[in-house]
Amino acid sequence: MSSIDITPPRAAAREKTVSARIWHLALSSVEFRIGLVVFTVLLLATLFYPWLSGIDPLKMAIREKLLPPLFLGEGWSWAHPLGTDQLGRDMLARALVGLRYSLLIGISTTVLMVMIGAMVGLFAGYYGGRVDTVLMRLTDAQLSIPMIILAITILGVSRPTIPAIIVVLGLAGWPVYARVMRSTVMAERKKEYVRGAMVLGATDLRIMFTLILPLVLPPMCFVAVLDIARMMIFESVLGFLGLGVQPPTPTFGNIIADGRKYLMNAWWIATMPGVFLVLTLTSINLMGAALERARNAIYGGA
Amino acid sequence: MSLDMVRNEVLLSVRDLSVAAEGEGGALRPILDRISFDLAPRQILSVIGESGSGKTVLARTIASWLSAPLTVTGGEVLFRGRDLLADPAHARSLAGREIAYVGGNPAGALDPTMTVGAQLVEKLRAVRPEITPAEAKDKAIRLLSAVRIPAAERRFHEYPFQYSGGMMQRAMIVDALISDPALLIADNITQPLDVTVAAQILKLMRELNAEFSTAILFICSSLPVACDASDEVMVLHQGRVVERQAPAALVTRPGHGYTRALIAELPTLWQGGPEGRDERQKRDQRAIMSVNGVSKAYETRGKSGKALVQAVRDVTFDVFPGDNFGIVGESGCGKSSLMRLLTGLERPDGGTILFEGENVGAASPARLRELRRKFQLVLQDPYGSLPPQSAIGAILEEPLKIHRIGTAAERRERARAVMSEVGLPADIYESLPTGLSAGQRQRLNVARAMILEPRLLIMDETLSALDQTEQGKLLDLFERLQAQHGFTYIFISHDMTMVRQVCSRIAVMYLGETVEVAPSERLFFEPGHPYTRALLSAAPTLEPRRYRPEDCLLDGEPPSPIDLPPGCAFASRCPSVTTRCRAENPALRTRGRQALAACFLVPDPSVTSDEPMEQSDV
Repeated sequence: MSSIDITPPRAAAREKTVSARIWHLALSSVEFRIGLVVFTVLLLATLFYPWLSGIDPLKMAIREKLLPPLFLGEGWSWAHPLGTDQLGRDMLARALVGLRYSLLIGISTTVLMVMIGAMVGLFAGYYGGRVDTVLMRLTDAQLSIPMIILAITILGVSRPTIPAIIVVLGLAGWPVYARVMRSTVMAERKKEYVRGAMVLGATDLRIMFTLILPLVLPPMCFVAVLDIARMMIFESVLGFLGLGVQPPTPTFGNIIADGRKYLMNAWWIATMPGVFLVLTLTSINLMGAALERARNAIYGGA
Repeated sequence: MSLDMVRNEVLLSVRDLSVAAEGEGGALRPILDRISFDLAPRQILSVIGESGSGKTVLARTIASWLSAPLTVTGGEVLFRGRDLLADPAHARSLAGREIAYVGGNPAGALDPTMTVGAQLVEKLRAVRPEITPAEAKDKAIRLLSAVRIPAAERRFHEYPFQYSGGMMQRAMIVDALISDPALLIADNITQPLDVTVAAQILKLMRELNAEFSTAILFICSSLPVACDASDEVMVLHQGRVVERQAPAALVTRPGHGYTRALIAELPTLWQGGPEGRDERQKRDQRAIMSVNGVSKAYETRGKSGKALVQAVRDVTFDVFPGDNFGIVGESGCGKSSLMRLLTGLERPDGGTILFEGENVGAASPARLRELRRKFQLVLQDPYGSLPPQSAIGAILEEPLKIHRIGTAAERRERARAVMSEVGLPADIYESLPTGLSAGQRQRLNVARAMILEPRLLIMDETLSALDQTEQGKLLDLFERLQAQHGFTYIFISHDMTMVRQVCSRIAVMYLGETVEVAPSERLFFEPGHPYTRALLSAAPTLEPRRYRPEDCLLDGEPPSPIDLPPGCAFASRCPSVTTRCRAENPALRTRGRQALAACFLVPDPSVTSDEPMEQSDV
């Protein structure tokens, strides 16, 4: 594979677009590959394992309750590699299904958050003046409401469905992004190349979306990757409070909530979500970091 | 090659210094090759050479500020007899105390979040903790006024963005001098500045050199400036010292072929007589751009409440198709504001700007966007004016995309064609502009502007960041493009020699007004306004001057554009001022043969004929 990559002459390699070069560089790093492999395996497992193995994560088997994971303690079995919970449900299947919901909620919440925050910040920072004042006061108002209170209020009144959870968490998180975005856009906006684009006849929207946004969004996305973890944990918190995805559908939140009662004699129930969380986030972060490093190498600090 | 003059005292002694850049795979590319020279206390030594000759690397090696790919491969730098390269800890303790460095980018060197005064005090106290804050403040203010910063007491509390470029550069000199260093390394400090300001800074350096007994290593790329500034000039070429002589001797008897070539390619103001650029353009046809009585004021909020800065007051000129029109003036004279008005980035408060008969100042945003296809701007800063993370091809295709011209393949084709036209290699199409030199970046800027095939190109200080050789190449390029595409150029510049080379008609601006509009040969050989003469007297040139600075410019600062005195704005600095000048502002009036000047000394057109006038007694 890599020997083929080297053979084409340098001129041809030069011809690749900037983004292709960034991806190429990122893909050639070991961290990115490890992250990619782990993440892909986890993703495929969440999507296909419960279905392929034929194990129903909701199926109870009281006789097999509280089995420990492989090689840990007495009575483990190959049928349940990660053990079972207090109702004899398979922990591997439950954790993978839980990861499915956590990932869905974590990623879509973060995307929503970044999107709203970036838009608000972009418009406020670019236009300044009255637009800025109005948008930033809105942001301040939003910031003043604690996230958990907002979530309890909204989810307590309406039914806690997955879209509702995404919207609530997304609404609570965007102000931080709006503020960061606004200040970077304000700095970029005064640069000479923006004036250059104006003279070329570019409209404000064009400058905002094709010139400034691609420049300031990637560093923000790197921070946002870390926020995926935060949002997954928040989802767990909501689940723990009973305002997340409702049982019997397993999520990390309600697995932990169930498992804490058995922490003394069945530590694995509450631990498994954490293990999967660590694996997922580490793999995402490895990819993010490698990508960021490749970006910096190609752009040379510019 | 280095002349080891017998001196009983040597401050800095560089012996066989070699520096190399480590390339890919550990290959070493020499940057400096066995440089040797001595510097005595109180001496000013200029180092000149084109960009890439290793001037800045030399400066940074001496300031112990060499970064990653560069490594010293041999030699020694002795400062008061101790080798700085062998003892980095000692070198670091000297940096900022004994050896001070002033760079060419004052805006980047000052912290924008602190007042200038606070930065100076912080610097001084970091270096000499025994000085009390009050003493440090006194010293900073004293030095600020020593470098002619007006109202230093008040300016001390201002932020860098409130300073003009020249003032920031002076603040940087204060920053370097505040610790009383024995050696000041001035790296290209006058390049971004106006001629009159640069002349003042040079004069200032000499005075400071006498007053504070600081030795100065003055690095620059302009031979006239180097000769003006220093006791001795050292010529650097491809990392080697090729020559070291006193300025007068260097100019009359250059010892090395490179120096001779350097002197030969210097543009001249007056040599070759009044026949400058020819008159191929016909001025009886309709003007492509006609500016009439344009004015613009900005509102600022200071401590004393709102104030109006009259950036552009009354600008009038016509630009004819195929012409090269020059607009010259010092910084702060309203050139940049005028540029923003001409390009429709801002709208004038009064007056009209007609482009091919259409008023740019009153056009609707959509119409303005269409008009922009026909007039384009090339910006000043080769680094800031290009989007940092777009590939070169994408930068060039952007204007075509904006105006929805052609298909993707056609745009690509067009971009490649323009690239070859401005002399950029085709294989950098997908590269980022990061690796380009300043000259290449300006070529890219020109390419981006001309891809729309405009009729008028406005060059806002496009060449001021480039060295002499590169300027010459670009000017040739402009000429070739003009011949091929029939562009009309407006050069906005502070550089009289450049304007003299390329422009056929020139407008001189002072404090927002056009004080003189004249054909190049009239302007340089019989200027109608005293300010033009002052500008000519300050222009860096090796020629015998037609105008001496002492006769043409009184000491003093131009009045603030916030509260302008009644009468002529130049009255406070004009050597031939009359009482009428202080009461009444002269308007532009003709003085025959397409020349106009705003001065009472120009005879009233109603009484004079169209004959050329005697200027010697004006």
